[in-house]
Amino acid sequence: MTITRKALHRRSFLRGMGAAIGLPLLDAMVPALAIGQARAVKAPLRMVFAYVPNGIIMNQWNPDYEGKLGELPRVLKPMEPHRDDILMLGNLTHNTGRALLDGAGDHGRCSGSYLTGIQVKKTTVDIKAGVSCDQIVAKHLADQTRFPSLEVGMEDARQAGDCDSGYSCAYTNNLSWKSETQPLPPILDPRALFERLFGNGVILSPEARAREADYRRSILDFVGEDTRRLEATLGPTDRRKLDEYLTSIREVERQIERTENTNAQIDPHMEKPYGIPADFAEHFKLMTDMITIAFQADLTRVVTFLITREGTSRPYREIGIADGHHPCTHHQGKPDLIEKVTQINTYHATQLAAWVDKLKCTPEGDNRLLDNMMLVYGAGLSDGNRHLHEDLPTLVVGNAAGSIKTGRRLVYRKETPMCNLHLAMMDRMGVRMEHFGDATGELSFAELT
Amino acid sequence: MLRWLSGLTMQFPSRGPQPVGIVFDSDLGDGVDGALALALVYGLEGKNEARLISTSTTKSNLKSAAFGDALARFFAGPPPAAGSFGGGFQRTAPPMGMADNGKLDADTPVLNAVLDKKTDDGKPAYPNGIVKLNDTADPIALIRNAMTAQVDQNCIVLLAGPATNLVKVMDLAGTLDLIQRKVKLLIVAAGSYPEGTADPRVKADVPAARRLFAEWPTPIVAVGTEVGEALPFPGAAIEKDFAWAPAHPIVDAYRANRTMPYDAAAPSVAAALYAARPDGFKLSAVGAIAVLDDGRTRFTPKADGHSRYLTVDPDQKDKVIASYVELASAKPTPRQGGRGRPNQNNQKQDVPPPKP
Repeated sequence: MTITRKALHRRSFLRGMGAAIGLPLLDAMVPALAIGQARAVKAPLRMVFAYVPNGIIMNQWNPDYEGKLGELPRVLKPMEPHRDDILMLGNLTHNTGRALLDGAGDHGRCSGSYLTGIQVKKTTVDIKAGVSCDQIVAKHLADQTRFPSLEVGMEDARQAGDCDSGYSCAYTNNLSWKSETQPLPPILDPRALFERLFGNGVILSPEARAREADYRRSILDFVGEDTRRLEATLGPTDRRKLDEYLTSIREVERQIERTENTNAQIDPHMEKPYGIPADFAEHFKLMTDMITIAFQADLTRVVTFLITREGTSRPYREIGIADGHHPCTHHQGKPDLIEKVTQINTYHATQLAAWVDKLKCTPEGDNRLLDNMMLVYGAGLSDGNRHLHEDLPTLVVGNAAGSIKTGRRLVYRKETPMCNLHLAMMDRMGVRMEHFGDATGELSFAELT
Repeated sequence: MLRWLSGLTMQFPSRGPQPVGIVFDSDLGDGVDGALALALVYGLEGKNEARLISTSTTKSNLKSAAFGDALARFFAGPPPAAGSFGGGFQRTAPPMGMADNGKLDADTPVLNAVLDKKTDDGKPAYPNGIVKLNDTADPIALIRNAMTAQVDQNCIVLLAGPATNLVKVMDLAGTLDLIQRKVKLLIVAAGSYPEGTADPRVKADVPAARRLFAEWPTPIVAVGTEVGEALPFPGAAIEKDFAWAPAHPIVDAYRANRTMPYDAAAPSVAAALYAARPDGFKLSAVGAIAVLDDGRTRFTPKADGHSRYLTVDPDQKDKVIASYVELASAKPTPRQGGRGRPNQNNQKQDVPPPKP
């Protein structure tokens, strides 16, 4: 047997007409003599911010204990199987989300400041925030992945108009800001995300896309020749990994097609693009499946995921709630409304749990994909009824390649800036900054003494 | 119609210019001076002459923070009457900042007397919510954040303790500009002027005091121990003017501080009164305050200086002391919370979480 130091390039793609599919980490990508070492060293770290709006019913979120995680409160019950993989953070505050003399508009402010740490300008015209921490990292990693970052959402990408008491929709409908005046709108349509991830950048005309659909050809068909060529060079383990990976892409593709067909039958004139599933959980799964694939193929290492927009009044008929989310959060202590918000919060956490499950089941080298991630799940408001910006609900899922000890609840001192967490995460992503937003220093993940 | 309109006015009082916001940073529990000053600020707040926008202790001791929190709860007053503006909603206890300098400052008789006192049925006479470090706020972020919410030049910082917290605030990125914009005056109840013996508040952190007087970017008024001795808080008032409350934390603190009867030296109380009612005092010429290695302070007149020190106006002495008593012993007034919505703490108590 010949031992070679030649390896398949980590950023190899399967190419075909209109398609470019990145590859997951394969044994063939590391020199044979260095496999063990390279596996440990080479897996990249990823940073995700997944945002839920309108606050949380906090007494159903916060456990009544600190330290090692045990039984979780109702909203987080779905995350209980993953409690060893999460770090709950308490008392983080976004002061720049508060009114600070700007009056009403907490929803617009809290989402605008969430990743920027900036008190955004109250305006519907000349918007101004700051460069968000994800974009600072994206710029730093720009030449290392196909996409410096991905911005994903599920609800509303309007960039103009008044979405909250004089705050532009640009603040409520974006998390990522490339500059202080340039938000990066999230991709809502699974088809658009799919084509962004696996297309070769050529934008097909509607006619060409329709023709393609008529032929019912999978994107995998276009890269079939490349795939066969690669398979011939791979060992059995890599062939199995590749097969599983391409199958997952095909599954996503099928689901998108099913959604498009269903939507077209239900209402050909529906407002949402054809590819957006009407069902929340289905939409969530499609988007997170694609984020997972993007990580597997190292297409990006930075993702923001605006699960729904801040201030949303989306109903949740999927779970029998016809009232809007936002009106319910102003419950004024009424038990029936509190119950509805709790159900919505729990429903979101249920989707998160399913995604985390997938991330744990997705191998990467000798580890799980989740082990090379920091997935922050949280909100820019804690108590949505009173619009509080302190003790923001914050979970860090994944141990950032062993640099974060999970399975715990850490409660910081009151008024500890959320930007301290951003500094700590940027540091782990290789960006060392002295200051960010209103940070007072990098957050320590050690227990308070 | 007119009656209806006047009813509306009662329900929704007009919001004119806000009174000055006071950042209060003090060595709570070291003697009774700081606690009296805090009580006086609550009195000013009740009369709408000032707003307490942040409270922190320079003592690295949970009991000191608990004492401050107990005072905040005591002075929060009853909720506004049902039917009035914000009726039925009690304001929540604000975060209590506490210095965390890595060492534990000592308990004091004042702290123990107030925090250990029990009601007849064995409950704390002065409840507080401070048990662990994370029940307190980071004073640096707390003070900075409080300033960010103020109208320009409508904030006074009142320091009645070591300068440890404030110099850390100055070290935050961009905060010197913020202070310059928001704060019109720093009042420091520490030192003696134009010079005298070393004040423990300065000796506790000489480098911080030195930096504060040299680098703080707004005018400074220092209130020395000599003012506190010349304008003491009258011990007789403790027995008389606070008697409206069956149990009053200031009374218990005062009694625990020294054997009664005595009049307590009160530089911080003078400083707090000066913040809102400056007419009863005189000021030195401008100059600079130097901090010597042994903790003594020395004032030097200087035309381009930005510091002054307070002096006693003998004609106003009785009036000043009467104001001390009037404000520090004032009954708490009803105050509404947040946006007039019940908070989740209330919700937790009043509305049991729905069963799954």
